[in-house]
Amino acid sequence: MEEKLTREEVLHVARLARIQLSEEEIEKYQVELKKLLKDVEKINDVKGYDDDILIACWDGNTELRKDEEGEMLDPKQVVENAPHHAGNYIEVPVVIGESEGA
Amino acid sequence: MANYIPTIGVEVHVELKTKTKIFSNSKNGYGQMANSLTNVVDLGYPGTLPTLNEEVVNLAIRAATILNCKIRHEMFFDRKNYFYPDNPKNYQITQARTPIGYDGYVEIEINGEKKKVEIEEMHIEEDTCKSAHRGTKTFLDFNRAGVPLIEIVTKPCMTSSQEAKAYLEKLKELLFYGDISDCKMEEGSMRADANVSIRKSEKDPFGTKAEIKNIGSISNVGLSIEKEIERQAALYDKGETFQPQTRRFDDKLQDTVLMRVKETGNDYRYFPEPDIPFVIITEEMIEEAKKGIPMLPDERRKIYVEKGVLEINANKLIQNRPLSDFFNTLLNENINFKTASNLLLGDISAYLNKEEKEIGETTLNKERFIELVNLVDSDTLTSKNLKDILTMVMEQEKTIQDIMKDNGIENITDDGEIRKVIQEIIASNPESVEDYKNGHDRAIKFLMGQVMKETKGKANPRLAMELLTEELNN
Repeated sequence: MEEKLTREEVLHVARLARIQLSEEEIEKYQVELKKLLKDVEKINDVKGYDDDILIACWDGNTELRKDEEGEMLDPKQVVENAPHHAGNYIEVPVVIGESEGA
Repeated sequence: MANYIPTIGVEVHVELKTKTKIFSNSKNGYGQMANSLTNVVDLGYPGTLPTLNEEVVNLAIRAATILNCKIRHEMFFDRKNYFYPDNPKNYQITQARTPIGYDGYVEIEINGEKKKVEIEEMHIEEDTCKSAHRGTKTFLDFNRAGVPLIEIVTKPCMTSSQEAKAYLEKLKELLFYGDISDCKMEEGSMRADANVSIRKSEKDPFGTKAEIKNIGSISNVGLSIEKEIERQAALYDKGETFQPQTRRFDDKLQDTVLMRVKETGNDYRYFPEPDIPFVIITEEMIEEAKKGIPMLPDERRKIYVEKGVLEINANKLIQNRPLSDFFNTLLNENINFKTASNLLLGDISAYLNKEEKEIGETTLNKERFIELVNLVDSDTLTSKNLKDILTMVMEQEKTIQDIMKDNGIENITDDGEIRKVIQEIIASNPESVEDYKNGHDRAIKFLMGQVMKETKGKANPRLAMELLTEELNN
């Protein structure tokens, strides 16, 4: 039997991606996503992967910055680069509202 | 309502008292013109790189030490990915896998019983920008973006709102006295979230959890936990259940309201921040950070009480950091510390509150205060007379004795003069003398009053009392 994800798993991913899927697509992705995951899982075969995570190509110590003030931008410059502003504030559309109530 | 056992965990964010931001050299400040404390790093411009502020690491080590945490010697940062305008990089730099401190505790005391509130971990992260919503618009101020934070997470180890409040009070006191943060909840430099669930018995698994976000004061943390326990209990009593959810405390309703139901676990796709490689914390860095820790409240409390200050007054002094710091400069002096604490918390505090000043803004330095304590302690300066000259004591630079002289506050310290008055009083009040001899304590107070009246309050009360007792017993 062909290995595949459950219907719920596909719908969960679809919800995270904020996309709607048709019935055919759900079935298709159950198989395709599983194949993809199996390919990605090959990474686990790499020896020592878990013991020594590669963070950066440089594994020495990070140089820390002294706590001294530098130059800052003029608020005018800040808002000039934004598509919209109101006074010194950058203006954007409300992204999500709070759903209030019980 | 059936009986339930609450399980409470608390997450606290505190802003660190650094000069500059965590990953850029723009100023870390509050209450300034919008978007005036930013640079290209804070704004998340493409191609910019974060540089970690040394003082952030220093203060975080200090906090970890104060909170009895183990300190990680090798740490890195993670990107927490999410899409929201308060963070234009679309990720927050935080520490998901290698928090700088872990396995700590804070000791609290409730009704005389001590308890350790266990700290799971504390990590360093950047604050986001401040957004204000008006209608369909959101307004962004990036002054707060990149302000350094530490997040302190307890284990779900508390079982009442009192415990949560006591923990927060203690945490605030420690971080404030440790000079780590100014911990002003009203300005958002300390913010608390509470996780609350309830269950019937300790044998049961934990109940469904509700997280109450961003509560603005410690008393509201207590109130929101109580309300949340009631709400969950009412549902369980009816045989209902609920989904894990995020709520917030509504000041007007004085209750928690639903923000969102957590349909699925958050998926922030954490991965190591490649722009900041490993940070190695050496023993020298830890020693250096420990050296910067000022005397903490518990030690102050202990010393004050040992010096004779009442426990209640020791606590009051500690609630006022400038007074407590001033008091600490006196600890090696040979003075009556009880009198000193009474003066600081009484007349001097009243003056400072009225004038909206701190003690450092007055002329009352250590030397003059010691003089004052000794004058009051020897009854050379009575409390009534002190009230008359207090403003001058706080605003002039003269010695206290000179101020007393200027204001005609004399003090008869001449034995002979006082004794003469006493002998006259005794002669003209034979009944009171008789009462005293029959063991009526009140009689001596009456006679003492007469002496003070006769001398127009100028007799040194302690000396007068000594002489009066002596004369009466002759």
